[in-house]
Amino acid sequence: MTRLTIDPVTRLEGHAKIEIFLDDTGEVERTYFQVPELRGFERFCVGRPVEEMPSLTGRICGVCPEAHHMAAAKAADAVYGVTPPRPARLLREALYSAFFVTDHATHFYALGGPDFFVGPDAPVAERNILGVLQRVGAEAGARVIGARKAGHHVIEMIGGRAIHPCTSIPGGLTKGITEAQRSEIEAIGHSMVDFAEFSIGVFDSLVMGDPAYRDAILGDIYRDETYYMGLVDANGKANFYDGRVRIVAPDGERLGEYDPADYPDWISERVEPWTYLKFPYLKRVGWKGFVDGKDSGVYCATPLSRLNAADGMATPKAQAEYERFFATLAPANGGPKRMVHQRLATHWARLVEMLYAAERLVELASDPEIASDNFRVVPTATPTEGVGTVEAPRGTLTHHYWTDERGILTKVNLIVGTTNNYAPMCMSIERAARSLIHRGQVVSEGILNRIEMAFRAYDPCFGCATHSLPGHMPLEVTLRDAAGDVVDVIRRDG
Amino acid sequence: MSSVATAEPARGADPGAEARVPASAGPGPRIDGSVPTAAGSGPASAIVVGVGNPILGDDGIGWRVVEEVERRWAAEPRAGAEPPPVAFLCVSLGGLSLMERLVGAGRAILVDAVRTGDRPVGTVFAIPLAELIPGVSGHLDNAHDASLPVALAAGRSLGADLPAEITVVGIEAHRVEEFSEELSPPVAAARLAAVEAVLAILRRGGMPCS
Repeated sequence: MTRLTIDPVTRLEGHAKIEIFLDDTGEVERTYFQVPELRGFERFCVGRPVEEMPSLTGRICGVCPEAHHMAAAKAADAVYGVTPPRPARLLREALYSAFFVTDHATHFYALGGPDFFVGPDAPVAERNILGVLQRVGAEAGARVIGARKAGHHVIEMIGGRAIHPCTSIPGGLTKGITEAQRSEIEAIGHSMVDFAEFSIGVFDSLVMGDPAYRDAILGDIYRDETYYMGLVDANGKANFYDGRVRIVAPDGERLGEYDPADYPDWISERVEPWTYLKFPYLKRVGWKGFVDGKDSGVYCATPLSRLNAADGMATPKAQAEYERFFATLAPANGGPKRMVHQRLATHWARLVEMLYAAERLVELASDPEIASDNFRVVPTATPTEGVGTVEAPRGTLTHHYWTDERGILTKVNLIVGTTNNYAPMCMSIERAARSLIHRGQVVSEGILNRIEMAFRAYDPCFGCATHSLPGHMPLEVTLRDAAGDVVDVIRRDG
Repeated sequence: MSSVATAEPARGADPGAEARVPASAGPGPRIDGSVPTAAGSGPASAIVVGVGNPILGDDGIGWRVVEEVERRWAAEPRAGAEPPPVAFLCVSLGGLSLMERLVGAGRAILVDAVRTGDRPVGTVFAIPLAELIPGVSGHLDNAHDASLPVALAAGRSLGADLPAEITVVGIEAHRVEEFSEELSPPVAAARLAAVEAVLAILRRGGMPCS
């Protein structure tokens, strides 16, 4: 047997390694996507006051601290049995909307974009945001940087800090905003709507307008038919901050909808001997292995999932784009709902969400109550247990805390966005590998990158912020013969 | 009643920020890196950045060093003209976000845990960033946005005012994958040596080779 290893070591978001086992005829027999887990977070939290969690959990990950901040704040609300006043809800969701625009923009232009704008076969030294800027132009690049800066500014105004917000506490926030800040946020929201529409135009012309990329998105290499998860509001529209969790089958049939606190009734975790990370699956369907289809409990929680799970978007421009998305990618199938299963379409779904978040920011900032002094109620109930769920950019994020009567944590459980997608990511990698590697074929870096594209669409983030500066980020492929001897090594040092 | 109920809401108050710019530092880089003119007149300003995660074991060494450097730098006796302003910052960021924090500074010193694997744990060294990460690194392929060198190149291509000199003070780390506020003993013991290394660079006004 020959073994190929893709080992993209990075100090930024944890390590991940792909191993591809070939059979004696050179066909892909099995792939493994392994993720070393950071250890001891629950133990680290136990014994601390629950109100520390919104700030503390933001330190789990340097990529989406805002998502952990919000999930923790909502879980802490629930622990104290307190409902924040409406202005607090508006403020939190406004911060969160600005964060979504910022995060999705960064992924689109810096992480996902290079595969399309520069090309999957381009040298790695060019396949980055610098290459993207050369392709889309300096003016577009300035808009990207400007959108990030504006997003961080909104987060800082409401959250107290530009990256790791610290103002959400049980019952609301520690501070409000002034009328001048409200007005500024509203103006930023309008500019973000323009930016999101501009980005969709870029995607249309440079990706969907290119036959090769369009075929890649519409083809079967990156297609898996799984269940989909996403938060929806009372009208069944997608929401990032709050709502009920909806699960939809691959054929569009609704499996169910539940209050986030009921997640233990719906989600189980599968343990595999070859990885520390567990595989969540739908309890009512059951674990049938790494297979797709309606009989397999594997589900996906991504921007694509949220669009598949929801009936639509709650803002007009995003709704129009949502309809165009499904009309383009999912012809009517006679089922209860059109569904998109092509994983690379997640990049487009992300832009639909970016437009929604920008429009939502305008809505929230236009509400005069957002600048009210009534941004907190002081909790009075004895703390016990609580669940907080938000949609993180990478998927549904749940924090579950238990405390004693003083609010001191006794137990913590987190289901993070990327973990939801661990099984479908493994499946997408395997499908891509099977499609791209065949007997006697020289495995080029371009092919390896196309396999990486399968999981890059999920925007994976393995929950850490180990920012030790890296020496380099090697991607190493080792070919071994049946005896385990190295036959060839392909290495790129960046 | 829990302590949470005693917290006083304070309208408009900023409960804290990652950047801690001394009042005397003038218009140094802000938390959002939005003051690109900071180094535009007079002597070049400097920014000292502790990079890392303070709750992930040895990865917190960068913050600990910079906190001590800030204390020592403020207390340092000076004769003659005021030195160029220095800003101090502790972040858990990389790539584009870290680049954005450097906008406006004339030079930057990044203090961080490093795991090269070929130095004894606790080894302190100072080298230009370009020597730590040769050429254009390929972080993009797995990280969320870009490696710092790529982010710096992208920023410069867009006209951002970024430091001409970026020095890394690295501390070889051991344990960075388990949540803890404790440093391993060799890394904790290296803290003061790293502080001295940063102060020496600040006093010289640059790297020995520059």
